[in-house]
Order: sequence, then C-alpha cells, then structure tokens
Amino acid sequence: MFGFFNKKYDNPALLEEMKTRQERWFAFLDKLEARMHELTTAAIPGLQEIFNQDADPYKRAHSNMLQGLLGQINHMRQKANDIQEEQIIDFVYQAEAMVPVVTSTVGRDYHNRIMNFRMACLNRHYIFDEKLNKCMQRLQQATGARDLEAAYQEQLRAFESIRDKFSCQQCGGNITIEKMFFIDTYVTCPFCHSQNTFSPSTGARMVLHDARALAEQRTAHLRQAYEESTPRDPEREKVYLRAMIDEWNKIIPDMAEENEKFYERLLREQSFHHFK
Amino acid sequence: MAEEKDNKLSAYLERLKQQAATQQHYGGDITPEEAKMDIRDCPKCGAGRAFEKGLTACTYCGFVFMDIKLTDGVNIKKENNS
Amino acid sequence: MSDNPLLEPIHGITLEDYSAACAKMGSGLSEADIAKALGVEVPVWQEANLLWPERMKQDETFHIVTLFGQYFGQADQHPKFSNLKATVSAEGGANTDRIKSDKSFYEELEVARQVAYEYGLDGAQWIADKYGITLGDFQIAASNWNAQIHQDIAADFDGYNERQAAYKAKYQQLFADAQGGNVADDIEF
Repeated sequence: MFGFFNKKYDNPALLEEMKTRQERWFAFLDKLEARMHELTTAAIPGLQEIFNQDADPYKRAHSNMLQGLLGQINHMRQKANDIQEEQIIDFVYQAEAMVPVVTSTVGRDYHNRIMNFRMACLNRHYIFDEKLNKCMQRLQQATGARDLEAAYQEQLRAFESIRDKFSCQQCGGNITIEKMFFIDTYVTCPFCHSQNTFSPSTGARMVLHDARALAEQRTAHLRQAYEESTPRDPEREKVYLRAMIDEWNKIIPDMAEENEKFYERLLREQSFHHFK
Repeated sequence: MAEEKDNKLSAYLERLKQQAATQQHYGGDITPEEAKMDIRDCPKCGAGRAFEKGLTACTYCGFVFMDIKLTDGVNIKKENNS
Repeated sequence: MSDNPLLEPIHGITLEDYSAACAKMGSGLSEADIAKALGVEVPVWQEANLLWPERMKQDETFHIVTLFGQYFGQADQHPKFSNLKATVSAEGGANTDRIKSDKSFYEELEVARQVAYEYGLDGAQWIADKYGITLGDFQIAASNWNAQIHQDIAADFDGYNERQAAYKAKYQQLFADAQGGNVADDIEF
C-alpha cells in the first residue's frame, strides 16, 4: 500500500564483492588444480621406480610413498573445503541476512543473485573435487596391479624343482614332498617313519597370502558383469562368488573345506542383502 | 618464481622417494627364505618320533612334546595324538 | 561353557590363547616364542593361526571377532604369556604403561600414527622409534579404550571432534615442517 517493499534497494558494493569473491575462488581452485596435476604427473615415474625396485613382498615402500602423495592431495582437498566454508558459505549467510526479505520484489532479485553466486561457487568446487579424485586414481593405478598369476606360476615351478631334493634328518633317506605346502608341516620319512618338519619357502607362504587376490584377479570379468548389471543381479553375483571360490580352492586345495564354509556365509549374506 | 616452485616440488618428491626407499618398516625386512627340513628328536631319550606313534609324546620314555590335544586341522589331524 | 562350535579350541589352542598370542606377536615375540609359550610346536601354532581367522570369517554374528578383541586387550593378564615380554627401553616401558592408563595420550598418539602415514612414514615404526611402544601394545590399548571412546563420542560429539582436529593439526604441522612444508602451502585464496 505504501510501497515499502518495492522501494528501490541497491547495494552495488555487495554485487562487486560477489563478483570479485567468485573470481578469487575460481582462481584459487585453478591454482590448486594446476598444482595437483603437476604433483601427480611428476610423482608417477618415481612411484613406478619404487614399486619395481621394492623387494618387499608387501610392497611397503611403495605403499608408504603412495600414502604420502595421497596425503598431500587430501591436504589440498581440506584446504579447499576450509576456504569454501569460511569464504563462500559463511559469506552467503551474511549476505542473505543483509538484503531485504525474499518475499519482496527487490529482495527476490538479490536473493537470486546470491543463490547464483552460491551455485556457481559450489559447482566450481564440485568440478575441483572430481579432478582431485582423478589425480588420486592416477596415482593409485600408476603401477597397475601386481601380477599375481606370474608370481604363482613361478612358485609352482620352484616347488617342482625342489620337491624331491629333501632327505630325512633321522635316517638320510630321500623324501619327496607330496604336494605344495604353504605353512610348516610334518612330513613322514617313507623309510624310517620319522616325523620331519618341512618349512616352505617365503615365496610359497606368499601364495597362501595372495590366494584370494589371485582368485579375484582370475574372475574379475565375472565380478564386473555383476557390478555392471542394473539393478544388481544376484544370480550374476552367485556365479562370480562360486567361480572365485573355485579358483581359490584350486590354488590352495588344503583350504577348500574352510573356503566352502566362508562361501556359505557369503551366500547367506547375499540373500539377506538382496531380499531385505 | 615458477622455477623456485618447481624446485620445491621436485625436492619434495625426491625426499619422499628417499624416505620410502630407506625407512625401516615395522617388523623389519622380510628376508626371503628357502624351504627347509628339520627334525625334533626326544630331548630326554634321543629317540625319533615315529609317525604311527603320534606327535604329542615320546613313545619310548613318555616325554611330552606338546601338552595339548590335536584336533582336525589343515594337515595335522586327531589321529596324530600320541 | 559355550556350545558354539566356532569357539572349540584348535589343537588345544583356545580363542583366549590365540588372541593373546596375536597381541604378543605384535609386540615383537617370534613364532617360536609364541609356540613355546602355548606348549606346542611351530607347525601346530601355524595351523591355529590359519584356522582361527577362518572361524571369524565364517561367523556372521561377529561374536568371535568381538571376543577376539576383548581377549586381545587382556593379553597382559594371560597366564601363558605373563613372563614373556619383548625387550623395551625404560622409557618405552613407561610410555607403554601410560598409553594403557592415560586415554588422552592414547588418543593423541593414534592421531599422530595416522598422520604419519599421510606423510609417507611407516606410522607403527614412527611410534616405536619415538615412544618405544610396540604395535601390539598400541593395539592392546586401542582395544581397551574402544568402549570408553564410544561413550565419549555419544556424550559429547563436538568436544571429541574438536580434540581430534587439534591433534590432527598439531601433527600435520609437525610432519609438514619435517618435509619442508606441504606442496600447496603457497597457494592462498
């Protein structure tokens, strides 16, 4: 009636502040992105070098270096999040409190401008986050997976070459190791029946350690088929699990009985997850 | 300016790599060991352990090698109790 | 006694024995030491060491793994291991006692250990070098403080997070200084 709510409201300083703030935010993220790309690209050759020369069966030197690099990338993520909180989100709250209520015409105009500012800044941050995840992925995938199949085949050959080279520590009679063992075990001398203790090589022990991962590598295509089905197809999951356990059992036949019990549990959980 | 930054980045990477390659890992290095065969005779009477007499006690003097009851494990079974 | 077949001893090695053995392995005892303390030979220990985790994998109620955590925390009281300790310095011994009696000390070092990994260090080794605390003792403390910390979080979520953030900032600074700063320290808004 009195035109209070249509009264001209003008706040050029706020508009200017939003403009420069948005520009600063974009420039800040541009710089962080440039830095994380430089870091990633420069780090990869060294990361690969450490991986290749790391004799540790668990590749701990490589893992530490990778963790350090991911730590720096995460530090950049943290930095961007903190600045977004302080300089964008808090600012939006202050600006909204400053301008006329949204139900008035001028208020609506200013609120729209603030919302546009907010959306532009958050979208830019979203893109930054995506790029950051890509960099992390590049670092994680720089070395590829360990070739577990080759390592396994090498151990099979190594075992074949040593299996008949042992003798009884009691009578000296020749002992052929009947099958590949992955942990210490007792073997009986065929001549004097004494209980000898056989300790497998470090490489053979690692086969046990890596068996599930190798079985998963061998059946990765089935897992992928399951994961790509929409909605996730429980039948495909079953096919994958069965094949993975079969491969696992082939690698470590001694653990087949235990693996089957584990498989039963996975199946019980599967029906629970799909039908709950 | 740009050069200084590049130097800083490469110095950081060099240091990280050195640290990864040289730092000690918890539990120490894993030295690859060959497969080997060993035997434990009875420390009391010197007799060997015969398969059919089980793993837990000496069949000659009764020395107890292991004061437990073996169950069905991976390679070791109940039948291996003396 | 429980009639849960998953709790049956494996070669006479109970879950209490196994859990304490794991804690002591983490404190630097060898497999031979462990087997001897349990009154078995190494091949028997290795089978139990392979089969107890299988029992945990087969148990979807998580009962076995929960008990494992409890018994792990009580490893120092286990009669078969009470006289067995890996050698540590006097200072290491004092810090090891402290981490089990001073919750803030434990919480701070847990954050420090994680931040160490984020700076490319072997966190467990860093704790061992700096404080003389073994990973096994660290995990015993973790398992003993676990319930108390959950209560703290439930009682004062913000307070807990603030303390964690302060520890994190402290160690990020420490490790960043040691490597000549973070890679993006010069980039400012």
